[in-house]
Amino acid sequence: MRLQHTGTRCMKLAGVSVERAGRLLLSGLDCTLHTGEIIVVLGPNGAGKSSLLLALAGLISASGGIEVLGKPVSSYSRNDLTRQLAWQGELPPTEFGLSVRQRLELAADTISESIESTAAVMDIVPLLACPLGELSSGERQRVELSALMLRETPIWLLDEPTAHLDLKHQICSINMLKAQRDHGRAIITVLHDIQQAMAVADHLILIDGLGGAEYGAADVLFDSDRLSRLFDAPLVRHGTLLVPDYKGVT
Amino acid sequence: MGGQWINPLHAVGSINQTILWELRLPRLLTAFAVGGLLALAGAWFQVLLGNPLAEPYVLGVAGSASAGAVVGLMLVPESAWVMSAGAFAGAWAGIAIVMFFSHLGANRMLLGGVVLAAFWSAVLALLLSLLPEQGLYRAFSWMMGDLSHSELPVPVLLLAWTIALTAGLILSRSLDTLLLGERHAEALGVDVKQLRRRLLLLASAVTALAVTAAGTIGFVGLVIPHLMRLLFGSLHRSVLPASAIGGGLLLMLADSAARTVIAPAELPVGVLTAIIGVPVFLLLLWRRS
Repeated sequence: MRLQHTGTRCMKLAGVSVERAGRLLLSGLDCTLHTGEIIVVLGPNGAGKSSLLLALAGLISASGGIEVLGKPVSSYSRNDLTRQLAWQGELPPTEFGLSVRQRLELAADTISESIESTAAVMDIVPLLACPLGELSSGERQRVELSALMLRETPIWLLDEPTAHLDLKHQICSINMLKAQRDHGRAIITVLHDIQQAMAVADHLILIDGLGGAEYGAADVLFDSDRLSRLFDAPLVRHGTLLVPDYKGVT
Repeated sequence: MGGQWINPLHAVGSINQTILWELRLPRLLTAFAVGGLLALAGAWFQVLLGNPLAEPYVLGVAGSASAGAVVGLMLVPESAWVMSAGAFAGAWAGIAIVMFFSHLGANRMLLGGVVLAAFWSAVLALLLSLLPEQGLYRAFSWMMGDLSHSELPVPVLLLAWTIALTAGLILSRSLDTLLLGERHAEALGVDVKQLRRRLLLLASAVTALAVTAAGTIGFVGLVIPHLMRLLFGSLHRSVLPASAIGGGLLLMLADSAARTVIAPAELPVGVLTAIIGVPVFLLLLWRRS
């Protein structure tokens, strides 16, 4: 599938609020996602980052307006929405002995050639015949990223794509996200690592866990005071980098 | 009479011919269909509940069917037909309650089902304690699996086997996707709520039919799907047909043994399914590790 030119509007959020188990996680979020753009969602544990992604993927309900490619998300059938959005989240269970290749085949009706090539990007070609249960968490995460790459949807919603990964594959997947953006993919991703976020974010959504949500350009919001307050943890600036100040924690 | 070999080609015009065609063959076919239905139900419940330990009786359908069968036995002590009708009604009473749980997640549904199963076994114990002594033997042999009194016509069971397998194959791609968990399945376009309802109804209906035909026969529904996954992989387009056939063959074999080992008396077939199936399963498990 050819993706559209950079700058076409893919998603529009207007006054979006998300509740989970009766608790208001975030409210009044306005935001726009374009093709060829990465929005990174940052916030402390339990603030509602994953819930926001689930709501955007239409997997849980949210109030406010969510538009996908110009139409309200609620007007899509599950099947049509699946063609527009791909969601990456928790690792799938391993009890039933699916092999890596079978898991990838479930991601999309696709030819084995593209399975081989996406598996190659994530270094899992030698694992294709293994049952998922024999893999480490990091290897399973690489399988999930390969499965994601098989989804030819214009929009990707990613919940911690670099979780469980070793350094090499963190870099590999961050580069993959950038390459996908440059091909016109529109991506919203939750990340925990501030360096990774700074490496890819065009815009940021900051969720404070108290109902507040803020959206803005990355270069404005990457501010040590603001992020220190958000995470309730000291951050210091080293040149162009924002790093946790481990000495500052008492 | 169970120990005698009847050559089908020479069983002409004799009592042997009658035994073969009117007793043995229908019973073999009943065993095949019931075994296949139990294995299919087991495979479905395992996926539905996301739990490899699930089996056809996990949500209490066998308990409610047994309670119904015993009520039938109390009402009309000599009628196998009334007992089967009681089992069928009991099974559906159990299913009706289970359907209220269909909107819950897999774990809570499993918990609810296990509690319900405990409830039904208490009801069953109560009924058994009230049952006149002469009915007890009949009740117990039914509860351990009994293919000698099946009241369901063989063509009905074979038709049910065919329909169940076909329905399973139609759903097989969605079932595969459900192996990734409900969220992933939904994100990949599966209507998970609808699939769960269908699966619950299908698996329960099949269990109800199997229990009505042959009482409660353990083990087939738990182990055959796993055995087939070990042999043929996890995708349902292979697991379901293999289970429908493998479950059928296991129960045919077990029932033939149950009938002949201590002939003219019969062993409960549920004992034989476990005695044959457990070593085979453990052997495979051990060789694969």
